[in-house]
Amino acid sequence: MNEAAPLPEAAVVAEKLTKRYGDLTAVEDLSFSVAPGEIVGFLGPNGAGKSTTMRILAGTMSGTSGRASIWGVSVALDPAGAKRHLAYMPENNPLPEDLRVEEYLTLRARLKDVESARVGERVRKVMDDCDLTRRASGRLIGQLSKGFRQRVGIADALLAEPKVVILDEPTIGLDPHQIVGIRDLIRALRGKMAVLISSHILHEVEQVCDKVVIINRGRLVAQGRTEDLRRELLPEATFTVVTRADEATLLAACRATEPAASVDALPSADGWNTFRVGLPAASPARETLAGALIAAGISLRTIAEDRFGLEDIFLAATRRAPGEARRP
Amino acid sequence: MRHFRTLLAHELRSAALSWNTWAAAGLFLVLMGGIHFFALLEGSRAPSDRTPVESTLWFFWLPLLCVLPLLTMRTFAEERRAGTLAALLTTPASAAAVVWAKFLSTWIVWVVFWLLFTLFPFLVEQRLGTPGDQRLSDPAVLWGGLGFIVFSGLLHVAIGILCSCVTRSSALAALLAFISLLAMTAAGGALESLPIESWEWLGWLREPAAHLRTFGHLQDFAAGILDSRPLVLYGTGTLLCLGLAVLSVEGQE
Repeated sequence: MNEAAPLPEAAVVAEKLTKRYGDLTAVEDLSFSVAPGEIVGFLGPNGAGKSTTMRILAGTMSGTSGRASIWGVSVALDPAGAKRHLAYMPENNPLPEDLRVEEYLTLRARLKDVESARVGERVRKVMDDCDLTRRASGRLIGQLSKGFRQRVGIADALLAEPKVVILDEPTIGLDPHQIVGIRDLIRALRGKMAVLISSHILHEVEQVCDKVVIINRGRLVAQGRTEDLRRELLPEATFTVVTRADEATLLAACRATEPAASVDALPSADGWNTFRVGLPAASPARETLAGALIAAGISLRTIAEDRFGLEDIFLAATRRAPGEARRP
Repeated sequence: MRHFRTLLAHELRSAALSWNTWAAAGLFLVLMGGIHFFALLEGSRAPSDRTPVESTLWFFWLPLLCVLPLLTMRTFAEERRAGTLAALLTTPASAAAVVWAKFLSTWIVWVVFWLLFTLFPFLVEQRLGTPGDQRLSDPAVLWGGLGFIVFSGLLHVAIGILCSCVTRSSALAALLAFISLLAMTAAGGALESLPIESWEWLGWLREPAAHLRTFGHLQDFAAGILDSRPLVLYGTGTLLCLGLAVLSVEGQE
């Protein structure tokens, strides 16, 4: 009886990865993991070491120390074995200009050990999935727009149905329509492949990824689900309040409900005052603040809890000192 | 050497469709056609020990220095510049397979160029016949000389490939190949022309200098003398250059 190969606990493991160029440390002591079928955003400011880390994981660069493995196979000890489970799209997505899309994908399928009998079928499938069949299959890659070139790169990544896909800035330079297309493509991979994706478009990452890993100056500063990071990095809940009341009156009313409340004035207009009210995230006053203010006789035009996005999490994480992040 | 055949087929196809190959072929045919034309003219003026074909083959160094670097310069330098080499190495294909595929495809193109050259004597014989008792070509000399060029071409192409591995600039790769091939071709002759016999302390150079006689090797091959020493020289030189090229590709970060 054939038994399916057991799933590894983690599809991608980076353990104490370090990369030094002489005196310059690009990546230091970086540890994180990606579970099978999970989509993980890999974030950091420019020069944080994202591309370096991805290249080490993809086996195109060796680390100075630490361990990287893809689907349980060590990248350093068995690079060919690791590459059989992996597809990697580098940052600038280099493609040969003088090949036609279908020719290129056929070549790549053969190099990626796709069975000979299935090469044509797989090429057609990824071209359909990436919307290349109708408009690009017979064209020279050098004649394609940036968006189509990115699609060719992603089609190439999906060709051999790898267990792990690493995409370095797949949406860079794309217009909003193209970004939505690529986002839908990546979202469709959830549960099928582990995806590690770096991007500067945090809104996109938030919509697509199950988890984020944030690095700064080569070191891990945060990792986890967006909700968990929000609680960890932004422990205060804030409300935007538009009212006729002045700051002192509002603060007194808020403190009557939650002694740790804070009030900051924001730019106001039309005779209405705008304030930001801060409460501890775990405070029960989050649910009763509006009622408490009305009961205190404060006239309200607007009261709304601010929603922290990934951008706020990213800014908070990259502001804190490296090494403060929780270990995986 | 996984995927070697796939890569070789791809490289041959790319070479066949590349403007660079066609430009090199044009330059090669113009050069060799011109040299052969002047060899025929010279042969018609005065009787010579050498046939015009033999005289033409004696100038094999000209396309070696001017055409071969054009074929090898883009093999790795251009791929490194564009980043496609790094992308290729993300597949399970090994660096050795990539190097050998590029090497063999370039060598095959080089051999095809020289096979095209054999059309010249054939066409000349067809047009002119054999004037008087003069022979325009000697098949044994032609194929012996070509055998040398094709076999030594293994090392020459490997040198060009290695030069292309160490830079991202195709122009610099061509220049490096030109200098290396010039040094290699001229080294034997230069060493032989030195009065080594009178310099006792340079006596150890006598033997290596004798091994590096490129034109002597051509003469031997054309005369049908098959010495194992040049075979070992060109064979091991080829393996050394390709080994270094593989290390260079593997070490690129």
